[in-house]
Amino acid sequence: MSDQSIAFQPISALSRLLETGALSAVELTDLYLKRIQQLDGRACSFITVTENLARQSALAADQCRMQGISRTALSGIPYAVKDLIDVQGVLTTAGSRVFHDNIAAENAFLVDRMAQTGAVMLGKLNLHEFAYGTTGENEVYGTAVNAYDENRLACGSSSGSAAAVAFGLCPASFGTDTGGSVRVPAAMSGLVGLKPTLGRISTRGVTPCCWSLDHVGTVTRTVSDAALLLSSSACYDSLDPGSANLPCEQYNIALTGTRPLSGLRIGIAERFFFERADSEILAATESVMRSLARAGADIIKVEMPSMEHCRTVSLTVQMPEALSFHSRYLTERGDLYGKDFRAGLALGQCLLAEHYVRAKRFMMLYRQQTNAVFQDVDLLLTPSSPVIAPERGTASVTLDGVTEAIGNAMTRYTTFFNMTGHPAITVPSGMHSEGLPMGVQLVGRYFDEATLFKVATAIERDDAFRIPLPQPG
Amino acid sequence: MKSLEKQTLVNICEQMAAHSWSDAELNELVAPQMGIITGLQDLLKALDKLRQIDLGALPPATNVQNK
Repeated sequence: MSDQSIAFQPISALSRLLETGALSAVELTDLYLKRIQQLDGRACSFITVTENLARQSALAADQCRMQGISRTALSGIPYAVKDLIDVQGVLTTAGSRVFHDNIAAENAFLVDRMAQTGAVMLGKLNLHEFAYGTTGENEVYGTAVNAYDENRLACGSSSGSAAAVAFGLCPASFGTDTGGSVRVPAAMSGLVGLKPTLGRISTRGVTPCCWSLDHVGTVTRTVSDAALLLSSSACYDSLDPGSANLPCEQYNIALTGTRPLSGLRIGIAERFFFERADSEILAATESVMRSLARAGADIIKVEMPSMEHCRTVSLTVQMPEALSFHSRYLTERGDLYGKDFRAGLALGQCLLAEHYVRAKRFMMLYRQQTNAVFQDVDLLLTPSSPVIAPERGTASVTLDGVTEAIGNAMTRYTTFFNMTGHPAITVPSGMHSEGLPMGVQLVGRYFDEATLFKVATAIERDDAFRIPLPQPG
Repeated sequence: MKSLEKQTLVNICEQMAAHSWSDAELNELVAPQMGIITGLQDLLKALDKLRQIDLGALPPATNVQNK
């Protein structure tokens, strides 16, 4: 198998290569490090490559295997994290000049969990400054580009998390999702993006964007890889007040029979989630719907809560929380922030306390209303985004005669589920005629990631939605 | 609700426990020119609509799991 071919294998296949001794963890790590050296000048996905740390971890994984010490499915598997996530002794920039000297004193909880599995940390990934923005454009560390068209954006805020996997520079990554920041770049790059239930993966050791909306998520090539990363990283963290105290299962997503989704009810909310979208994206989503029906699922039309105030509520929660976290740094080094982030913080200053509390009460209303929808269906299906990856520098998009800021458009179908906290996953739904991937989003009940994985796997296995690998060289 | 005036924001910065913002940043909040953010004025109008919706005794959202 060529290096290029190995680089694009899912974790399950890489794990088999390591298990059989066809490849050592050191060789696999070196393969990715070499690709980072060759290709990341174009991809712009890494901010810091932890080469020495990666080789040490890979060597330890190989030694364990040689000594017959039981290995996990992630032992020796390289991965990388968005540069908001702390790795002890390594710079966490958060994509900002403000944190140019911010060396992490300890590992984030999830990095510790991954270390326990024997996985190999390759480095820290690019992002929109402090995850505040969905284009991933970053004037300090450069802008991660789309592997399918380097004139287009990888999108964000977890831009590096998507670009690194899409360019074959690592097999999987972690990002954070406050309004769609894992799901959108994953969808734009033809990957699987998972935002688990709020609190499922601890956010301790992760620089916050907005405590109330932040979720740690994964970017992978396959649904089973997403399930593997979730079951390896999710665990109750008594030191994280938002951590969910529920065990995370080892997911078995084997699909059997010709109608493996029999009995499952999939909700379609035509209002809002099928409006003002690219026609090819809508057609692909409808095609997924028909495929799921053929696999036995019942497709049911549902009415979601009114989304009229959704963005107002999200912004009103985000900006005061961001200002509160950044208060100390604004005083000490306020001139190091980017213009757009400072503008957002200034906005946070001008909202009243009652505005913030009312927005949080609307979040509660959204949760209750969405839970009511889940009494009738097991999950929801929507497009991941109404648009494909935009060209660099795009400010706005016009759909059905309505012009909208590009960042707002990209996250229009994802933001709501950060407020409700329901788990959501995006999987490819095919290629757009402009040569870019499209995706669909599945949203499930709280802590029912298992059903998401099952249905996402059914979509993944339908050849109609399979997309070609990018050809980044 | 009257339109927001820049002097209101200047007063907030000067008279309440608040961070300082440059003249250009305050101008941008009142009348966006750079297209960096949605204007505060628009947001305040949207928040005024939210204020008119009765939420009864609904509490703010916290965790999704009661431990």
